[in-house]
Amino acid sequence: MDELYLDNIDEFVNDHNKIVTYKSLSLALGVHVNTAKQMLYHYLEHKRKESSPQLHATYLVTGKFVGNGQTCHKVSIVREDQLEDFKSKMSLIVSVHVYSVQKALLKDSGPLYSVDYDAVKDNLKNCSKYSAIRCAGAEPMSPLELQQTLKVQIHPQPEPESSGTNRGTNTTSKSNTKPQKGIMGMFSNKPAVKNTSNEVKPEQKEDTAVVCPLLLLVLVVFAILLKVVPCSPQPCEKQDSAAAVQHQKDSRSKTKRVEDADSEEEKMDKKKRRRIKRPDPDSSDEDVIPDSPQPKESQPREISPKKEKTETGRSGMKVRKRRRVLKSQTYLDDDGCMVTEKGFVSESYSESEDDFQASKPAQRESSKAKPNLSSKDDDKKSQKKAPANSNKGAKQASIVGFFQKK
Amino acid sequence: MVADVLCEFLEVAVHLILYVREVYPSGIFQKRKKYNIPVKMSCHPDLNQYIQDTLLCIKPLIEKNDAEKVVVVIVDKDHRPVERFVFEICQPPLLSISSDSLLSHVEQLLRAFILKISVCDAVLTSNPPGCSFSVLVHTRDAATRNMEKVQVMKDFPWIVADEQEVHMKEPRLVPLKSMTSDIIKMQLYVEERAQKT
Repeated sequence: MDELYLDNIDEFVNDHNKIVTYKSLSLALGVHVNTAKQMLYHYLEHKRKESSPQLHATYLVTGKFVGNGQTCHKVSIVREDQLEDFKSKMSLIVSVHVYSVQKALLKDSGPLYSVDYDAVKDNLKNCSKYSAIRCAGAEPMSPLELQQTLKVQIHPQPEPESSGTNRGTNTTSKSNTKPQKGIMGMFSNKPAVKNTSNEVKPEQKEDTAVVCPLLLLVLVVFAILLKVVPCSPQPCEKQDSAAAVQHQKDSRSKTKRVEDADSEEEKMDKKKRRRIKRPDPDSSDEDVIPDSPQPKESQPREISPKKEKTETGRSGMKVRKRRRVLKSQTYLDDDGCMVTEKGFVSESYSESEDDFQASKPAQRESSKAKPNLSSKDDDKKSQKKAPANSNKGAKQASIVGFFQKK
Repeated sequence: MVADVLCEFLEVAVHLILYVREVYPSGIFQKRKKYNIPVKMSCHPDLNQYIQDTLLCIKPLIEKNDAEKVVVVIVDKDHRPVERFVFEICQPPLLSISSDSLLSHVEQLLRAFILKISVCDAVLTSNPPGCSFSVLVHTRDAATRNMEKVQVMKDFPWIVADEQEVHMKEPRLVPLKSMTSDIIKMQLYVEERAQKT
């Protein structure tokens, strides 16, 4: 073996006062790591024979170690003065070789890591060139494959009609672009998970009670979504008990919203967000009447706020519009009992100042009723309604004013 | 930002010097991570607070480029310096930290400083037991007046250093490391007393 490497190592250790590890030596001299280990060993032996200034070395010991009744494979870096003691504790020694040579007595292994860190960083592209660890199956990706992989990670393809098995994938893919696809996610046929998130978003928007095109879009999208979301069986008849109704309120089942959406979506398609059709009282709507234990729900309520808001956005313009107004209807049921229910009625109106003031009292009554909507209506919409109604005195006034005109 | 980088580095360096030179027992030091390498930092609250307050007062001087040297003096029981770790700091007139590559280059240089401090045991003799330390700042003339203002604000008293701490008789000069970058130039050397015991 060429003896020049001894001078190189001596320069690193004595002149530069460096810590020379076998890894940094192999990268510096361009030799295999096993060759670098042998170099360090020969250098140590050579220097100790010459009685040179004291050098310190660390060793890498691997083998079987029995501890707490368990046998484990242990790899340790130990100082030279601790080597024999450590070897005696091992049940089987697989390998022992020089890890580093330096002049200073190291108190901990931190500097060893620092040396290898810089050495690897300087030779990042070929840090494993001289390594003894090989894997035949590990091949670097071609630039084309790498670009394709990066593209897939950055831009996952959306899958709007995914099955339940694809839910996780879509969730993952959509989570990466959450702000953008929060609304888009509502279009997919997602089970409870997605709908729950969709519920949260409308609720949040309801709290703000701000009429904006985005809110309207959300409501529309939500309505469309409800149409495709599978609904669980729920009592929807007028004769449902108050407890069942209350349960529906608490559970806020999506089914009701779905069924509401079923009836409403048709209307929406026709009216294009502006028109509110009066739903049939005998329809299978499940809107729960607030406050009083009235099982009959004639109209879906979630549509009204958004439609009102649609029209609110157009306030200031005196145009003929249709609105859903909460009206009380009294009738006799099969048992001969008088049942008063509140339902939304589609009415046409034109906004004016007179309508604003006159409609305020009526609006308050409706606003009281609305916060107690059933669970079928999600919280978002109920919350939307309360602040919306309280703030939209002008609209309600206009509706009441419409009635007064009549 | 240069002052922040320097003060962070000086904090790590002071802790490491105290650990390597065994000014305090090694048990109070724990392994932490800085510049992507393990370093030893004290976990004693009073010591940490003292070092932080010291560097907090030095920071305005560094920002104004008034600090020429920051010296960590290790003194023996008789308050005579045995070693002086001198950090000579010089900031180029035009400072521009605009690229990540520059910062990573500076980090690499600072990492080399840390590594050199870690192995300075090899070139220095052992210190006597019972040593303590202090931090000196060599400033330009006008900066000393500003130090009084800083002292009042920070409630951390600074006094003029004793002559014997500032100058050492016939010290042995041991250079450790130097670095040159676009934002800062620094060199570290040790003045060691010939007879420590």
